[in-house]
Amino acid sequence: MANSNLPRRIIKETQRLLSEPAPGISASPSEDNMRYFNVMILGPTQSPYEGGVFKLELFLPEEYPMAAPKVRFLTKIYHPNIDKLGRICLDILKDKWSPALQIRTVLLSIQALLSAPNPDDPLSENIAKHWKSNEAEAVETAKEWTRLYASGA
Amino acid sequence: MDSEDDMHDANDVESLDDDFYSGETEDAAPMDYYSDFVEDDDADDYYDDGDDSGSLECRRSEQSFTVLKESDIQERQEDDINRVAGVLSISRVSASILLRHYNWSVSKVHDAWFADEDQVRKTVGLLEKPVVQHSNINELTCGICFETYPRAKIETASCGHPYCISCWEGYLSTSINDGPGCLMLRCPDPSCGAAIGQDMINLLVSDEDKEKYNRYLLRSYIEDNKKTKWCPAPGCEYAVAFDAGSANYDVSCLCSYSFCWNCIEEAHRPVDCGTVAKWIIKNCAESENMNWILANSKPCPKCKRPIEKNQGCMHMTCHPPCKFEFCWLCLGAWSDHGERTGGFYACNRYETAKQEGVYDETEKRREMAKNSLERYTHYYERWASNQTSRQKALSDLHQMQTVHIEKLSDAQCQPESQLKFITEAWLQIVECRRVLKWTYAYGYYLPEHEQAKKQFFEYLQGEAESGLERLHQCAEKELQLFLNEDGPSSEFNDFRTKLAGLTSVTRNYFENLVRALENGLADVDTNGANSSKATSSKNAAGSSKGKGGRGKGTSRGSSRATDDNLWACEHCTYANAKSATTCHMCNLPRR
Repeated sequence: MANSNLPRRIIKETQRLLSEPAPGISASPSEDNMRYFNVMILGPTQSPYEGGVFKLELFLPEEYPMAAPKVRFLTKIYHPNIDKLGRICLDILKDKWSPALQIRTVLLSIQALLSAPNPDDPLSENIAKHWKSNEAEAVETAKEWTRLYASGA
Repeated sequence: MDSEDDMHDANDVESLDDDFYSGETEDAAPMDYYSDFVEDDDADDYYDDGDDSGSLECRRSEQSFTVLKESDIQERQEDDINRVAGVLSISRVSASILLRHYNWSVSKVHDAWFADEDQVRKTVGLLEKPVVQHSNINELTCGICFETYPRAKIETASCGHPYCISCWEGYLSTSINDGPGCLMLRCPDPSCGAAIGQDMINLLVSDEDKEKYNRYLLRSYIEDNKKTKWCPAPGCEYAVAFDAGSANYDVSCLCSYSFCWNCIEEAHRPVDCGTVAKWIIKNCAESENMNWILANSKPCPKCKRPIEKNQGCMHMTCHPPCKFEFCWLCLGAWSDHGERTGGFYACNRYETAKQEGVYDETEKRREMAKNSLERYTHYYERWASNQTSRQKALSDLHQMQTVHIEKLSDAQCQPESQLKFITEAWLQIVECRRVLKWTYAYGYYLPEHEQAKKQFFEYLQGEAESGLERLHQCAEKELQLFLNEDGPSSEFNDFRTKLAGLTSVTRNYFENLVRALENGLADVDTNGANSSKATSSKNAAGSSKGKGGRGKGTSRGSSRATDDNLWACEHCTYANAKSATTCHMCNLPRR
């Protein structure tokens, strides 16, 4: 079982995530796989996602921390950098990953991405187009989706 | 008078002979076997072309490129690094990082550095002092695995961010195995930009990874540098450094592959890069298939599938499930046909309608497509067959170098150095096949309406083709006789003279041809359409060679003086003594 010789780093990170969680973020490891985390991020205030609770999954691959964690939204979300499978377009999850980054920093970055969508580097072409052509309307849709899918049920 | 001169030139007496002999003076060293043959033929007259051979020499010596072996590349790279390190008074590691950032351009590094050193240091990540200080601390926590280690187990880059040795190793080796991006590696701390140099690599990674890193560094020196490129031949490990400003892009690597520096396709003189690109696209373009379908098929009148009629009568039945029966000529339903429409082999409806002009438009289109397809096929086939022929010649050359030369040297009791003329002949054949091949792409794109040019071009091409065939034949068939013999043959020296002569003649002819074509056959305009057929390569080459210092007047004079004593062979243009009835060079009878 992978849990038996879990690197010290992962254990320490997990302990810290549980003992001093970042505001608006919770991450707890799955019971049968310590590399798999159930994550919840609260929609940042003054964003279209305010009031929503977004579920994510995070997995630490064998190479972690030399390779980036794998993160995906489980809750449906209307966001130009997140596609309908919940995959996230974020540089630090790809080529900008550095082993000096942590689960905490990754989740904080995702939270920041909710506050500041970047339609110029889109993952979801249609949503990005919507965002650029009529931001107000796109924001309305995002709020609507937050109400529909992320209302903490 | 003038046209007479042109006619006279058509015999190529002087042009090729001049070149032939000058070719030999220029390569004097390895060709001493020529000397007796020159004296025999009383060819002193030809030597007044000293200028010409000089210009040839000069043209050859101004080689615009250098082939680099791995050791040369390393040496150059070291030199550049040392130069920058010396001028900027920085470490060699830092100099290497800087050069890598500025694509190995020493002058760009210097310019940027002296314009704004601080800015350069910042963008490249060369810190002057650490961001983090660890004086008087015995234990440090690794920023990656979070373990605490004694100071000695921790390494830092110039910034001072502490990571343990095993995390460093993991970080560096992950990056190295990710590709050449490792050459631009920075400190793991995302907010830090400190560059990681080769010193860290050498200190911290396995030998295997060090080797990989060094490979990338070497590759980067060639690939990121604008003045160098790898030889594109498969398996070749040489690189070529090209001097900017040279007009001749043809580059030949030590591996014997020639390529165009500009477009990296194989060498394609006399055709320009644009034409080559067009031709290559054309060769693989779907459009030719479409042309074929258009030219050779008609769509089924019912299901519209294209149908090729390759034999039989006009009664067509489309493939199931369509199974429509129709007449090939008028494309009407077969059921409407019968005795009254002209029976099974003709279609009166078609004939009548054709007379009325009903089918004109489509027929014309089909005819045009067919013609253009045939034209393309003509050029493509010849292009491709010269390509094949060249491949064969290359493998023959290889065979010659690895097997036959040694055997021949034993059998004929000649040192291998004296058999170099055979290799040279084969090298020439390979080169000529290449040129000839590209002349077909040239011909294909020669504008239809320039009749005079076209005629002249085809004449030159035809001559080139037959000249090359003669050489190829001699190197292939006649040499075979000597390969089959066990002992020395008295005829071997004659063979040597002949093959070396043919090589030289062919080389000069092709050099002139290349220059004439690169010149856009410019002479045709001045000569007019009528004399174009009669104009020899002399005129085409003469003008472009004019700057080489060879006055037309002198060469004409010399040829007149020799005309009385010599006759020019119609086949190989060799100037023979008047008394000879067969050509000394190619053994064909005088005509």
